[in-house]
Amino acid sequence: MSVPTDHLRGVDQSLDRPARRRGKGLLTYASANRRRPWMLLLPTFIVLGLLLLYPMLRVLILSMQDFGLRELVSGDADFVFLDNFREVLTDSTMWRYALPNTVLFSVACVILTVVVGTAVAMLLAKLSGWARILVTTAVMTAWAVPAVTGTYVWIYLFDARSGFLTHLLSDAGFIDMATTNIFSERFWFYAVATLNVVHHGFPFVAITVLAGLLTVPTELHEAAAIDGAGAWKRFWLITAPILKPVFAIVTILSTIWDFKVFTQIYLMPGGDGANQEVLNLGVWSYVSAMSQNRFGLGAAIAVLLTLVLLGITIFYLRTLFKEDTS
Amino acid sequence: MSPNQPRSSPTHTPEPSWSRRSGVVIGTGALSALLLSACGGGDGGSSGEGETLSVWIMEGTNPDASDFFSDVEEAFEEETGATLDIEFVPWGAAHDQFVNAIAGGTTPDVAEVGTTWTPEFADAGALADLSDLVSEDTREGYEENLMESGTYDDAVYGVPWYAGVRAFLYRTDVFEEAGLEEPTTWDEIIEVGEGLKEHDPDTIPFPVPAAQHMVTPFIWGAGGEVATGEGDSWTSGLDSPESEEGIQFYADLAVEHDLSTPTASTWDEADVQDAFAQGDTPMIINGSWTPDTIIDANPDLEGNIGAFPIPGPDGGLSPSFLGGSHMNVFETAENPELAWGFVEMMTTGEFAQRWGEESGYFPATTELLDDLQESEDPLVAPFAEQMNEAGASMPVTPEWGQVEGAQILPSMLQSVLGDSEDVDSAAQDAADEMNEIFGQ
Repeated sequence: MSVPTDHLRGVDQSLDRPARRRGKGLLTYASANRRRPWMLLLPTFIVLGLLLLYPMLRVLILSMQDFGLRELVSGDADFVFLDNFREVLTDSTMWRYALPNTVLFSVACVILTVVVGTAVAMLLAKLSGWARILVTTAVMTAWAVPAVTGTYVWIYLFDARSGFLTHLLSDAGFIDMATTNIFSERFWFYAVATLNVVHHGFPFVAITVLAGLLTVPTELHEAAAIDGAGAWKRFWLITAPILKPVFAIVTILSTIWDFKVFTQIYLMPGGDGANQEVLNLGVWSYVSAMSQNRFGLGAAIAVLLTLVLLGITIFYLRTLFKEDTS
Repeated sequence: MSPNQPRSSPTHTPEPSWSRRSGVVIGTGALSALLLSACGGGDGGSSGEGETLSVWIMEGTNPDASDFFSDVEEAFEEETGATLDIEFVPWGAAHDQFVNAIAGGTTPDVAEVGTTWTPEFADAGALADLSDLVSEDTREGYEENLMESGTYDDAVYGVPWYAGVRAFLYRTDVFEEAGLEEPTTWDEIIEVGEGLKEHDPDTIPFPVPAAQHMVTPFIWGAGGEVATGEGDSWTSGLDSPESEEGIQFYADLAVEHDLSTPTASTWDEADVQDAFAQGDTPMIINGSWTPDTIIDANPDLEGNIGAFPIPGPDGGLSPSFLGGSHMNVFETAENPELAWGFVEMMTTGEFAQRWGEESGYFPATTELLDDLQESEDPLVAPFAEQMNEAGASMPVTPEWGQVEGAQILPSMLQSVLGDSEDVDSAAQDAADEMNEIFGQ
């Protein structure tokens, strides 16, 4: 321990010389040293505090108030503490629709996004020259399309009367076009939403995993190939273990994004609350707060959503760290 | 490259409502700056010399309103010396934008507000009480139903500017080819629908979307009520046998008689209008203000569109929602007299009449309405008849906005049309949900 301290003191002595001369050198040195990192972090804390912490606190307070349009004008609101949470947790919408929709949808999206993203990354790593440029451009285009535009394109493709993909599904016998409106059926609604979200989300995974793939030494693969390992085996025994931290990160981020998907659901026909069966937590929160002026209730849903996400993230991180230490 | 980039909107805060909200509040910042600068120059009197009045008008009521408003600005400045700062707000975003402005204290001086929102904003304390400013004569000149929906707790918070009503629109050429006549009873609606289908199996004889304003005429027509009020307490009437009969009839047009298409269940009224304009359907229920837009979209239809009022079950008429806009003065207005002066100018006399002519809506004063009843125009007279003989309003309660926000009627229809529930249980659920909102 003495070596780095000495080294630091060497630097600091020159800075603290006036103080030292007054005989309080050691103390000032120590406290300044302790304070310095915080001073450097302070601007970030202030910005984060204003932009992130304050709104989060406000939502938390709001979730415990009976807050409507009238309170918005007057500024005062009655505290009802856990009443909003009780209402959300005893509402059948929560257990029948919002929570299952949110959880199943995000599980499907996360798995598909990571699998498709990884597959595309492996493809990109194999390709070279113009083929790689072509595929990269296609992947980047999917990423660059704004969520709103992308959603409308999917809606158009699945339009019940003239949608191209609806015709394909109908010809293949999955649905009966004469009697089905894809968007009014829960399963199909979310199937389209999953396609939309995976299509929009896989490029991020592909690019991140590709960056990881390029760090895997080719010697390892060559050695394994000589030992007789096939492509599948090489992926599971070499690539996957090395890329584990990368997979952890993309999985956590995808989970967070897919859990709180809003735009892609809200914009689909019936997704704005007109069809209760397809509500997810994000849309339910928005509809309660903004369309029904029940800001407290909307905030409570948002707080619950955040808590569930926090739980999942902590679980992921713990699994990750546990494996690291073992 | 931030990892937040791939999903644009719902990323930077845990809940989208607030991210959206802050965006709009910032957007209205510019307006509040204008308001502040306006206050500086005011002399406080009703003359309004040098003052600026901020006004929000809904976008799209009149597709080309620029000439109209430049004339209004000129006339208003001539009369009062004050200038107008008019901002156009799209209907779809309007409710949220009002709520945001109320939260941020950045409401305009005057705004056009949907008639069903007036009680809600009045109850919240966001609107100025106009009772002392509106003279008895002026008050009595407005159409009764619409004036009533602008009155809350015996005080006037909004006066009607224009109105619209929904009735049937149909293709006269298609009816003629198929040898069909305008239906006058509910059974005849079914007969005509089946006739249209026989004539052209690919057509959608009558689209049945899960839309509030398309089912209410049938609820009222069957003798039911959406909700009934006694004093301040309201009770949903959706689960009465009459209401359920009306809902059943409407849903059966699609489910039983197959006159609609499954797609239509998630359509909104604009989609219905598009389908009609594209020739996909020869008979719809749509607003009195839509024929011009339809002809704009498809000029071939000019002269081939007719209208008839919504028939009652056994003749007569079924009531249809009398919608429209109020002009309201907000509590934040610096000079309410000046603001009211503007409202009066817009809602009565020359400008009200001209707005009606240009926008395709009906003016909201009885004097101007009486003139229209005499109209020879086949696309005006049936709507005027519907409006005068069988207009209806939604419950005048601040909670009604919440009921609409919760999409209770569309949601109910969705589950009936999607075949996941029968009418009785869907109506029961909807009534319970509505009563819960009324009871808060």
